[in-house]
Amino acid sequence: MPSSTSSSDSEPVYSRRVPEISWPRVAVVAAFLAAAGVGIWEAAWRIGEHYEASYRNSDGQFAEVRRRVDRREPNATVFIGSSRTQFDIDLDVWQELTGVHGIQLALEGSNPLPILTDLADDEDFAGLLVVGITPPLVLMPGIGSRADALERYYNETPSEWASNKLSYPLERTFAFYNPDAALFRLLERQPWWPEREGLPFEAPEVRKIENMRRDRQSDLWNRVEDDPELNQVVTSTWKAILETLPPPPPEEEARAAFETLLANVARDVGKIRERGGEVVFIRPPSSDWFRDFENRATPRERVWEPIVGAAGAVGVHFEDYPELREAHTPEWSHISSRDKAQWTRALVGILKARMAESGVHRPEIGS
Amino acid sequence: MLFNSLTFVAFFVIVLALHNAPLPWKVKKTNLLLASYIFYAAWNPPFVLLLWLSTIVDWWVAKGIYATEEKSRRRALVGVSIAVNLGLLGYFKYGGFLLENWQALMTAIGVTWTAPGWNIVLPVGISFYTFQTMAYSLDVYLRRARPADSFLDFALFVTFFPQLVAGPIVRPTQLIPQFQEPVRANRNQLLWGLGLMTLGLFEKMVIADGALAPAADAVFGADGAVPFADAWLGTLAFAGQIFSDFAGYSTVAIGAALCLGFSLPDNFRFPYAALGFSDFWRRWHISLSTWLRDYLYIPLGGNRKGWHRTQANLMITMLLGGLWHGAAWTFVVWGGLHGLYLGIERFIRERWGDAKVASTAGFRLFLALLTYFLVNLTWVFFRSKDFPQALSMTRAMLGFGAPDGELVLSTFLVTTVIAVTVGMLIVHWFMRNRRLEEVVARSPWWLTGLVWAGMMFLIVITQGTGNAFIYFQF
Repeated sequence: MPSSTSSSDSEPVYSRRVPEISWPRVAVVAAFLAAAGVGIWEAAWRIGEHYEASYRNSDGQFAEVRRRVDRREPNATVFIGSSRTQFDIDLDVWQELTGVHGIQLALEGSNPLPILTDLADDEDFAGLLVVGITPPLVLMPGIGSRADALERYYNETPSEWASNKLSYPLERTFAFYNPDAALFRLLERQPWWPEREGLPFEAPEVRKIENMRRDRQSDLWNRVEDDPELNQVVTSTWKAILETLPPPPPEEEARAAFETLLANVARDVGKIRERGGEVVFIRPPSSDWFRDFENRATPRERVWEPIVGAAGAVGVHFEDYPELREAHTPEWSHISSRDKAQWTRALVGILKARMAESGVHRPEIGS
Repeated sequence: MLFNSLTFVAFFVIVLALHNAPLPWKVKKTNLLLASYIFYAAWNPPFVLLLWLSTIVDWWVAKGIYATEEKSRRRALVGVSIAVNLGLLGYFKYGGFLLENWQALMTAIGVTWTAPGWNIVLPVGISFYTFQTMAYSLDVYLRRARPADSFLDFALFVTFFPQLVAGPIVRPTQLIPQFQEPVRANRNQLLWGLGLMTLGLFEKMVIADGALAPAADAVFGADGAVPFADAWLGTLAFAGQIFSDFAGYSTVAIGAALCLGFSLPDNFRFPYAALGFSDFWRRWHISLSTWLRDYLYIPLGGNRKGWHRTQANLMITMLLGGLWHGAAWTFVVWGGLHGLYLGIERFIRERWGDAKVASTAGFRLFLALLTYFLVNLTWVFFRSKDFPQALSMTRAMLGFGAPDGELVLSTFLVTTVIAVTVGMLIVHWFMRNRRLEEVVARSPWWLTGLVWAGMMFLIVITQGTGNAFIYFQF
């Protein structure tokens, strides 16, 4: 704080100086060089890394798709779950077989049960809800890393809404416009950084593994399947993430939390049914080390069965159906984009049959 | 609406086109006013009502003050302006804080009372526009200025979108006269304005959000104590982040206004090259420090009432300046530390200011580094979520931290923080006595073009996180 006693009464009207240089020449050079740089950058990602333009899976995109529920689309079918539900379901095939274009609300690395609660509390929803269960994630407290997506749906500002709309044309044009290609993320994952001694191990960020559509359907990026090096990067990331999960809470605490979880599931499913809706559960496939880990840490009879039992709902576990088991999961966790159509076809058939067996008749799926 | 959003890009293109269209000046000003309301409403439309309230109250208050010579009436009217503006600020910004402290006080004297929940959303930029409108009524009251002739000009002064939500806090005498005559940027002003906007966005998106925020967030978000190196690196990262974030906003604001033909004053002048704290506050958030000087420090008596009163006035001003930043005691301590530094500096200057050593280059460098070191200690209180964290960080930075503090920064983050901090200090030192305009004017044109292109390219490939500017929360 200057101690001067001068006041503002004599301050002249401020007028900014502009440097006296040839501004048009400077601007043309700057615009040309910047455009050339961006063009080269785009080419490097497309040619060098085989990137394709894809939607960014942003919170705004989630909010936009979530609003379809509010519009009370007839026969709304909503998918919630983690990335497996997002990658494995083919919305076009689903529509071809049921006549309904599903609302894809699954969020990667997330627990779908808080979203189930949210939909149970939403009076606008009375359709069919397909809940994908990924055993380790379903036991997480809260939604997880994508909690902001639901928050965005509730509190999106007009400015955020508009920015999201304006971002779409860029997302479908530029391959580099992807969080995986952002400058500082790119720098951080370079191998030249030495390990800092004493720093606790942290799992790396998940690399780009998908191409997403405007309706939030994600397809596993073919390169994850075709490029052994990238495939290895992705599988080692899954291993690192699972191996660095925090230890489970003490037995007593875990049991109490799971009891609460089951009670919440029963309550939420009950609410949706009261409004005339229905809920079904699916367990999409995993394989190799990932599946072994899941079976060890979260065995089917201790997680999947009780949840489906508490809901009193139809549950389709991939292990029970050869046609669901056969799908190829190149990086252990998501179905190959080449197999997803067939897998979805099989899933719809099984769901129809199971729902019919259970006496559940839903126009959304034609059971 | 955030400057670093696509919505702003589209909005600004439309505003610029309308401002350059062949329309009467009054229509152009009305366009700017409506655009400013849209800019503000893009966050939360109902809060535009607060802007209107502040505008209408100060418009009539200033008119009323100007129309009377009756001292008590003038005083009552300026009291209305202060009450309404500080009332808005108090309700929305400090309500929860006051209740929380009242509850603590009651508990301390044995009264069991639970404060009701206080879930009030803080309107963006309320601290800035309430101070700006209050300055208008105060200037008229203090006979420093006449009320504006046109309500449209006054409303635009309160609401002018480039500086509405995070400053610079502009004085009525600086901006209102600019609205009186038709203005349009010439070609050079437009291009320099765009250049400044690029520089501001580069500071925000590349330096603050891209390079430094991850390290600052990791250290200040750590669960436990961190060791000496990480505590320092996290604090240095925050020092760079908050400068780049806030100076970046001001630079975009100045550039956007210039593109429209208006001049806003500087808000930062390379503060990390400051030699002492008086110098620091002449370089950091200049529009707030001069506001506090003119409307608080000087009315309190400034330095005219003896040594003790001067020290007390400095401390009061800085404590309130700290509280202006946020409704928490950590901000008050931040302000208090600055008040203390200023007081000590004044004391030293009075006794040894003329010593020969004070003018040597080595001493000046030492003083700059000492100032930077002490400023960093204050940032710990500014950034920490509570006192335990602030104290733990300060202990670690002074070498008294827990021996088992856990490392949190990777080699990448360590390298980034060191590189950016060293680069920033060099730039600030080089620019200490220079103006950006002079440096650009003396540089080869192709170099300016290259640097401009480089900043645009880096902004694009950094992609941005869409993070709000830190000062929005104030």
